[in-house]
Amino acid sequence: MAKHNIMVIDDEKIVGDMAKLSFEQDGYEVETFLNGESALERLKEKRFDVVVTDLKMKGVDGLEVLRTVKKLHPGTVVIMITAFANLDVAIEALRDDVHDFFPKPVKIKELKTSIKKALGDL
Amino acid sequence: MKIEYKIYLSNAIHILLLVLIGIFALQNLNQILTKFRFTVIAEGLNATFLEMRLAEKNYFLYGDAEALANIKGKIDQTSETLQQVRQDITRAVGAEKYNRLQGYLKGYGQLIASLDKSRLRDPVAQQKLREAGQNLKTFSENITALESDSIGAIIVHSKNILLYSFWAVVLFAFLFSYLIVHNIGFSLRKIVELTRSISKGNYEKIAEKPSNDEMGAVISAINAMAEELQKREKEIVQSKRLASIGVLVAGVAHDLNNPLNNISMIAQTYAEVYDSLSREERIGFMERVDEETERLRVIIRNLLDYAKPKEQHLARAVTNMVIQKILALVQNMLDISNIQTRLALADNLPDIYIDEHQIQQVLVNIVTNAIQAMDKGGELRIVSRYLPAQDDIEIEIGDNGKGIAPEFLDHIFDPFFTTKEESGTGLGLWVSYGIIKNHQGNIRVASEVGVGTTFTITLPSCKKLKRCCDGEA
Repeated sequence: MAKHNIMVIDDEKIVGDMAKLSFEQDGYEVETFLNGESALERLKEKRFDVVVTDLKMKGVDGLEVLRTVKKLHPGTVVIMITAFANLDVAIEALRDDVHDFFPKPVKIKELKTSIKKALGDL
Repeated sequence: MKIEYKIYLSNAIHILLLVLIGIFALQNLNQILTKFRFTVIAEGLNATFLEMRLAEKNYFLYGDAEALANIKGKIDQTSETLQQVRQDITRAVGAEKYNRLQGYLKGYGQLIASLDKSRLRDPVAQQKLREAGQNLKTFSENITALESDSIGAIIVHSKNILLYSFWAVVLFAFLFSYLIVHNIGFSLRKIVELTRSISKGNYEKIAEKPSNDEMGAVISAINAMAEELQKREKEIVQSKRLASIGVLVAGVAHDLNNPLNNISMIAQTYAEVYDSLSREERIGFMERVDEETERLRVIIRNLLDYAKPKEQHLARAVTNMVIQKILALVQNMLDISNIQTRLALADNLPDIYIDEHQIQQVLVNIVTNAIQAMDKGGELRIVSRYLPAQDDIEIEIGDNGKGIAPEFLDHIFDPFFTTKEESGTGLGLWVSYGIIKNHQGNIRVASEVGVGTTFTITLPSCKKLKRCCDGEA
């Protein structure tokens, strides 16, 4: 079975770097992006099994990424992370489209569990 | 003097004037009455004297004894009358004239008494008697005429005095009312001016010594209140600063969470991949942790610096740096609210001499207001420029938010004025106004509903304030 691939988008470079290290440890293929624009470009070329994106970014933000992903690749799982802890209403509104929501600081183990669940590995 | 007492005094003077005029008029009336009584009596006497002289003529013409007896009778009768009205006459023309009249009558009576048949034809005696009769009659008529004239004179005099006093009273009343009303009006205008300026955050007292009346008491009370308000304002400025921290923290939370998350993720990953890492890679991990803690430290220091209560500390500052610093504080709020920032900061601006802390507070306040006005996103425009004519620096902060209705615009710097129904205390801009005024600057607002709002702050350059001491312009 081919490796699952994961796209990680966050304007904080460390998030992508660490996610990549950690996810690759578990056998995933990981591509990281520092902004929404370059991620959207990549999404036009390639389908990812999971997209982990920051919600609030300059320019193209997590919501736009979500919309594009749902349009281009409806089967792709989207997991949202954000530094805003108090966005309950927004989270609720996105509940249908977003597989999971993680406020920063993110527990990587929980994130991985969520990804595994989404991919039917658990 | 108290206004109350002034009015009492005015009334007292009026009453005194009226009483004096009354007394004067009463006296004149009494005098007129006395003189009138005298003229009535004198007219009677004059008539009797005339009859006496007629009888005297008859006596000389016809030697009529009856006429002589008639004269004698009239003399007795007149003497008696004179005795009876002695007081009236004395009062009217004085004792001297009365005595003279009585003297004339007595002399005439003696001459009549000395007449007998033998001397009837004596021309000397006749002449003497005629002279005495003539004297008596003339004197009597003269004083009567004199008194009649004097009555006329008194009436004219009284009339004039009454007329003058009437005008005097009217003039006095007018003048006094004018003075009191003018005084009150003047003080009231002063008070209105003062309270207005206080409501704008200027706590200058009314300079001149307050007068010793009720208005003075009000002015003193307002002065004391201004002093008290000035003290309170310091507390309000601080509490406003703390309140605005609440708003800032909402934005800063995001700022804090990012480095926190980075540290956390580094730590988690570090533990997970430790075995596969080289020594250099491990050091690299820890260096990144250190960098992230530095990020946190800066954010927290900025916040604490902003929150710390401080005595006013004026120092030279670079205008554009002040603007950049507050932008760092609000950047995340701007990002969340989808607001783009357009900066047009002039190069080579003269420095300003400010309490940077306070000016930051003003700018943060205006920017957070702008953010709230652009709840659907927008553009925040910050311009700095130099006004060479006034030697002032101008900072303009504009938004393209919902704008402020014209009827609110005039009150925007008033204390407790707010259009934000629950979230606003209505003190933010009032405090800002006070801070800018304290810096000898100015703050004004222009707004159009649906177009946006622009706040313009002017601050004197440090050169203008003669605070650039290090020789540099």
